[in-house]
Amino acid sequence: MTRIAYRRPEEMTEQARELTVKRGNLNVYRALANAEKVFTGWMLAGQAALTSPVLPVRLRELVVLRTAYLMDCPYELGQHRDVARTAGVGPDEISAIISESDWETADFDPIELALLHLTTELLTTRSVSTEVFDQVHTALGSEATVELLMVISRYAGLALMLNALQVDLDETARLPIPPRREPS
Amino acid sequence: MSRIPLTSIDEQPEPIRQWMARRGNLKVFRLLANAPQVFPGWTQMVDELFESPTFSRRMREVVILRVAHLQGSRYELSQHVGIARNAGLTDQQINAIFDTDQPDVAGFSDTERTALDVTTELCSTHQLRDDTFATAHAAFGDEALTELLMIISCYYGLALVLNAADLDVDAAARFQP
Repeated sequence: MTRIAYRRPEEMTEQARELTVKRGNLNVYRALANAEKVFTGWMLAGQAALTSPVLPVRLRELVVLRTAYLMDCPYELGQHRDVARTAGVGPDEISAIISESDWETADFDPIELALLHLTTELLTTRSVSTEVFDQVHTALGSEATVELLMVISRYAGLALMLNALQVDLDETARLPIPPRREPS
Repeated sequence: MSRIPLTSIDEQPEPIRQWMARRGNLKVFRLLANAPQVFPGWTQMVDELFESPTFSRRMREVVILRVAHLQGSRYELSQHVGIARNAGLTDQQINAIFDTDQPDVAGFSDTERTALDVTTELCSTHQLRDDTFATAHAAFGDEALTELLMIISCYYGLALVLNAADLDVDAAARFQP
């Protein structure tokens, strides 16, 4: 049971309500909407991350699942298992990512493996070795690497909030994946 | 040396250049601006966090310094020690926040102690025990507690980006809260 009351859509500002409805009216948003003076900015940052055409969705979801696992966040795992499937991540791949080390021997390509290495190192040691960082940077380039780091950043921070508030996983509602913007 | 080249301020679109100037033209902005699809959204989030009247500047800095310390972010610390001083924290209080295990809470108000407890427990265990949550909820209520979590979340995550990119601290540029 969540530890605070969910905001109802009619208790939100118009912009907050629109953003919340667009993203499936999930429990996470109804809980965080309690912080009404900062919620809209947080939602806008998320919208930009979810619609960016830069980082391939499959790579993003591999990293989100790995982050959710390492941050012990059942809510993120519950939502993103389904998002990951939609993005073409198979059930065996998901099981490997959300285990301690099965992903290291699973059938991921070298770039995917490098991303999972970076995520694991960063979240367990708070830093990344030069070798692992350079491998990712060389493969993705600067723009996608910064986006990748911001994805880890956002989902690690969100996991803390979800765990602190013990937000219940939605029974059926799932994050709708918005269409990606055209590259600029 | 930053592991990712920093963008040049001159190359930014006008609204972003203005935002960077208003907030102090820091290296962290030039780093994040490598991702122009997501950086403008991030700046809106930062503006709301710093424009909100919910917490005093002092309370906000107590939390930010504790997160920066626990995440080992040299960059966040280099920026926020000065802001914390300007917000009224003494050197002794700042040093107390950097105590490794439990901060020495002498010299802090009850609500500051509660915020420090929440920050320490959440950043180190990824969870809050029932009694820690109950104390914080009674002290802050739904809105302020959630906003406190937003501050922790933002700086916890940002520290990961900064540490991964190994960003050098700014020589003189300072964040304008």
